[in-house]
Amino acid sequence: MILSVRGLTVSAPIDGQTVEILRDIDFDIGAGRVLGLVGESGAGKSMIGHIIARTQPAGFAVSRGSLVYDGCDLAHADARTLRALLGDRITFIPQEPLSALNPLRSIGVHCDEHLARLDVPRSDRRRRSVAALSKVRLADPERLLDRYPFELSGGMSQRVLIALAFASNPALVIADEPTTALDVSTQATIANLIRRMQRDHGTALLFITHDLRLAAHVADDVMVLYAGELVERGPARRVLETPQHPYTRALKAAIPSLRGPIRRLLALPEHMPGPAQLARLPGCRFAPRCPVRDATCAGAISALREIAPRHVVRAKQACEATMPERPPVDRMTVSAAAAPLLTVHSVSKTYNGTRDWRGRLPPPVEAVKKVSLTLRPGEILGVVGESGSGKSTLARLVMGLETATQGSITLEGEDITRTSARTRSIRLAAMQLVFQDPQSALNPRRSVGSIVTQGMEAQGSRFTPEQRLARARELLAETGLPPDLLARYPSQLSGGQKQRVNIGRALCITPRIMIADEIVSGLDVSVQAQILNLLLDLRERRGIAVLFVSHDLAVVRYICSRLIVMWRGEVVESGEIEAVFASPQHPFTRELLAAAPPDDLGAPWPRP
Amino acid sequence: MMPTPATPLRQAARRAARDPAVVAGTILLTLLAVVALLAPWLAPNDPQAQDLLSTLLPPRWLSGSDARFPLGTDTLGRCTLSRLIFGGRVAIHVAVLAATGAMLLGTTLALVAGYFGGIVDRLVSRCIDVWMSFPPVVLAMILLVGLGAGVNKVVLAIVLIDWTRFTRVIRSEVLIVRRRDYITAARLAGASHIQVLWREVLPAILPLTITLLSIEMGIAVIVEAILSFVGLSVEPDVAAWGVLIADARQTMHQSPWGILFPVTAIFVTVLAFNLVGTGLRRSLDARLVTARVDATA
Repeated sequence: MILSVRGLTVSAPIDGQTVEILRDIDFDIGAGRVLGLVGESGAGKSMIGHIIARTQPAGFAVSRGSLVYDGCDLAHADARTLRALLGDRITFIPQEPLSALNPLRSIGVHCDEHLARLDVPRSDRRRRSVAALSKVRLADPERLLDRYPFELSGGMSQRVLIALAFASNPALVIADEPTTALDVSTQATIANLIRRMQRDHGTALLFITHDLRLAAHVADDVMVLYAGELVERGPARRVLETPQHPYTRALKAAIPSLRGPIRRLLALPEHMPGPAQLARLPGCRFAPRCPVRDATCAGAISALREIAPRHVVRAKQACEATMPERPPVDRMTVSAAAAPLLTVHSVSKTYNGTRDWRGRLPPPVEAVKKVSLTLRPGEILGVVGESGSGKSTLARLVMGLETATQGSITLEGEDITRTSARTRSIRLAAMQLVFQDPQSALNPRRSVGSIVTQGMEAQGSRFTPEQRLARARELLAETGLPPDLLARYPSQLSGGQKQRVNIGRALCITPRIMIADEIVSGLDVSVQAQILNLLLDLRERRGIAVLFVSHDLAVVRYICSRLIVMWRGEVVESGEIEAVFASPQHPFTRELLAAAPPDDLGAPWPRP
Repeated sequence: MMPTPATPLRQAARRAARDPAVVAGTILLTLLAVVALLAPWLAPNDPQAQDLLSTLLPPRWLSGSDARFPLGTDTLGRCTLSRLIFGGRVAIHVAVLAATGAMLLGTTLALVAGYFGGIVDRLVSRCIDVWMSFPPVVLAMILLVGLGAGVNKVVLAIVLIDWTRFTRVIRSEVLIVRRRDYITAARLAGASHIQVLWREVLPAILPLTITLLSIEMGIAVIVEAILSFVGLSVEPDVAAWGVLIADARQTMHQSPWGILFPVTAIFVTVLAFNLVGTGLRRSLDARLVTARVDATA
């Protein structure tokens, strides 16, 4: 075994109590094996890497158990031993490639420093650098050595970091969410590259990710963490195809799929407990949210039970009870004959930039090029594209936050292309925007009740405080939030609750159109399922039409009836969901579809 | 309208009340304010009354002192303690009015410039650049030569010079807040620009403004002392700390006390304002507070 972890428990003092942030983690990684470590944010998956590197936050310490690498317990090794191992025998691939490289140093300097630490003689370093960079298929490595990190794309930076991580021919590589910060199509190639390098070097790899499907494709074995607890571990295929722990089953049922019938996502209630709440959960930490819990769960910790060779689950026999039924989703296709609510006709947006001191203009940037779309009542229209495709600019144009340079936008027969006091009031009465980042979209100094009724506040004295309070209660109920949240402040809410407040505010004036700009992209899978189901319910109850901007095809397939695909500012494909998924016409759409890890683990991915 | 158990503002106020620097500074400033208010009753002598028979007396605890003058006298035989107490009135008066005035002018310009941007912002920013390229004391002296002497002229001069401190710092804060999605969200909820400035932007920059206000008060005390030292501040018959230092300058080798007491008074006052300023910054600035919470989480 390269790394052998037994009973690893990490404790930290939180609010005067000692909380076990990680509890009894057991796993092994053999030479040349890949272990996928899966969990939502706050599950403690990055903590294992931090413990190995000793970069955990102050106060966090290993209180029990061992982390044995090559006969040496890393949890208790002295700093000198550890320093000799890290960066040489044990290396890391970080999540944010751009912030992991020093912008003031060229790629060559980064390589040189790393090789110097590995005692490579100065005369040999340049040759070795070039060799390392060409191994990760970076074109023209000689010239790349003179370039600086900010001249590189995220994918290229990540390749450089992968090259550095494997340069010492390490025994163990720890990759912490190495693809999360990248675009969908880049994600697939980077995941594939890591896997190939791992195979070529015969390295053991700990692949940390929040994406169960990705982990199952990259790893040989998968381990699932929930609130610092190991809930399930086994061969990748078995864990994804026949998960046994209720949490893993719920997680799988919360992920929208790219193929097959569409069933309602299983949305677990609430959210993962934070460190402060863990102290109040002596037993099974998943019990409060578990769909199949019984009275004994909250008090007891189940032992790890081997249910098949190498497949262990921290669950009782009773936990294998059937999960709630998931009904198929009615997509409610709206007839093409219905009068459109919103029509965008051949709209373009060009940014001209500002003149420099000599009066010269930079080349104009065409963010949106001749885009047309229609949105009919009660329809959810998906707008799909990568970063820089112009999809967010399109949303801002429709919302009137930017003015189109060409084309026209019509809302219920009224031309609203230009922004004026009149078009502003027409827009605001019918349309609302939900922002991507709830952190930034909610004023931290306002209470929840005051935020959701902001739309009434602007109209001054037309509403009494009692009317606002009543409306706030309605909106909380409608977005599935408990009424005692009224007086809370955004900093006291979880990510999912914030996004619901965000949606509640948009609903305040009962708009007919909601523009949702990547509203689930920052959320965990189980919270994403809650928000997506909420949107479906709102559409059903209120017949609200949604312009749903997203980069995630599976999410779009789940809730939209039609979609348009944007690429470099243009619409390259549009149509009914089934038609587009069955036979994508544009190469970019096909690339996007191929980039997502398929549900079927037998299918080769990424496709060669 | 909503029930408010623990608003962020109240939490911040509670944090401030527990901060040792804020507590220490506030106690010092309260003492100072009481002394300044009750000056006519606390001062043992008329600050302007001369006693040419008892000049340059040392303080009470040294030999050769006079019980009537607890901190001794100056070259004209005026009571140092009484002059210090009355000088405190001038210092507090200038500190409060000048800093508040500079804050009002500076913050208003910062809000307008930072929020609306464009030509207004460029105008204000260039104005600050020009303003700040003058040495402040020289600028103050030029202004006072034009305005004439008097405490309120000093206040006006400090406001006209120091508004840039507020505008520069708060404008950049407004630029950050302005880019937050909740500003756009408020506009999309139908709020006017005035409503957005008042309800969304102003509360966000308030902690910083209060901190700056407190520090500016300390600066105003120093500027007033400098101006009265060079004889450009108050009328000749008013005792100010700077005047005391100037009077004691020629005789500082025979009687260092005359200079030591007003300098200490200035030092303690400015320190008190700065203590309150840094303490408030620590407890009101959301970023610093969350940074500490994150570190313990």
